[in-house]
Amino acid sequence: MKEIDARSLACPAPVLQTKAALQENPSTGVKVVVDNPASQQNVQRFLESRGFKTVLAQNGADYLIQGHAGDVPADQPQPAPAASEDAQKIMVLCATDRMGYGDDELGLKLMVSFLRTLKEMGDELWRLVFVNNGVYLTIDGSPVLDDLKAYEAEGLKIMVCGTCLTHFDLLEQKQVGETTNMLDIVTAMQLADKMINV
Amino acid sequence: MCGLSFPTDENVIVGLTRADDAGVYRISDDLALIQTVDFFTPIVDDPYGFGQIAAANALSDVYAMGGTPRTAMNLVAFPIKSMDLGILRQIIQGGLDKLTEAEVVLIGGHSVEDKELKYGLSVTGIIHPQRVLTKGNLRSGDRLVITKPIGTGIINTAIKAAMASRALEDTVTRLMATLNRAAARIMADFDISACTDVTGFGLLGHLAEMVTGSGCSVRLDSGCVPILAEALEFAGMGLIPAGAYKNRDFRACMLSFDAAVPRALQDVLFDPQTSGGLLMSVAEAQAGSLVSALQNGGVADAAQVGAVTSDPEERIVVV
Repeated sequence: MKEIDARSLACPAPVLQTKAALQENPSTGVKVVVDNPASQQNVQRFLESRGFKTVLAQNGADYLIQGHAGDVPADQPQPAPAASEDAQKIMVLCATDRMGYGDDELGLKLMVSFLRTLKEMGDELWRLVFVNNGVYLTIDGSPVLDDLKAYEAEGLKIMVCGTCLTHFDLLEQKQVGETTNMLDIVTAMQLADKMINV
Repeated sequence: MCGLSFPTDENVIVGLTRADDAGVYRISDDLALIQTVDFFTPIVDDPYGFGQIAAANALSDVYAMGGTPRTAMNLVAFPIKSMDLGILRQIIQGGLDKLTEAEVVLIGGHSVEDKELKYGLSVTGIIHPQRVLTKGNLRSGDRLVITKPIGTGIINTAIKAAMASRALEDTVTRLMATLNRAAARIMADFDISACTDVTGFGLLGHLAEMVTGSGCSVRLDSGCVPILAEALEFAGMGLIPAGAYKNRDFRACMLSFDAAVPRALQDVLFDPQTSGGLLMSVAEAQAGSLVSALQNGGVADAAQVGAVTSDPEERIVVV
């Protein structure tokens, strides 16, 4: 179980650290230590909002909050299986829906081929993120929609930028992946061992 | 302040004996001065916005007493060795523009060097001695009316956590920079028994100040309170400023919540506000027309949120 020491951290850092820990290990639960009642109540509220059952203990002036996964509601995305200990975590960021410049038709062919070949990375492919024009690859009519759905079914976490979907008015058309925000994307960049930017 | 004794004189209408939003001092039979001062560390990152909010916040206490602000003086603490003076210029410009909007003239100020940036103002206003509105005269049967939505403290926490959209940041900045001037003008035509503004103690904290010593109790209709929707969402995620918990603990003995009031909503009712709206009690028969007048007069979020009851236990019942 991931342990977080959030003592002497100002709000909202304890909640943010808890959130990041859950991002990394979605199903195993988390232990958080804080040193003031406001942070204790905030972390508890956060964990409960994510479907965790919380247990509170006091240790001197510190508060220890343990969250274990309660019953996860059916409409929440299932957590990705943990990669093996030695495998590195590779994050691929697609900032557009073409690969390279010069010829758009060729660019699309290359991107389709790239995304289909990504499966050769095996377990090391840890996150696939789409921003800006890249979000078009996740909507109805995308040439790689079935491939992305297959990846997701095998446990790959696909993240699709919410700001971008909203900008293009595509929020309702997304067919694969989790709608996400810049905080989650930046956190994933920090946790990844390798980041590939396409 | 225990142990200090404060001399007073017969012209003090509102002073330290029962502290209110501002001090009031009689000058003549038909003129009294209102004095108030407010300053703080930056609320938002944008210096101009900070200046606007600080000015609106300082002026609000005069409006809450039923008065008209006339002059103001700047209070500045600035880390001149490490911060560019251009930032101070923008802050002062923001404050100045807000004062101009309120037809208040800046007549001076004072600045000191400090490691931590602070800005605010001392404000002087005028009022007829017989028209002073304090927190203190709740009447049983009155209705409670509020003029701005609540939730800015929680949303500012979410902004610090980089979880709020730019649009939400702009909305909240604009809300905090909105003067209570229009609301105060409209309220002057109605039978208002008590008034205050909603700031650091949250809606329930300021309501509790009105209830204490009044001999009445209040019922708050939580579903009628105008709330920034995102504040409820962020409260559910635990993005609540520590002040909200302190506010709640301080008043816990006076409060009772109906079981149906969701926890996130309870949290928002204690959320410390910056430069919040006016909270007033109005004669029951006039409540509907007061709210209409406010809404038609540019105070779009005005709403009736509860009632004063005759229970002498000085309790707040939230339903």
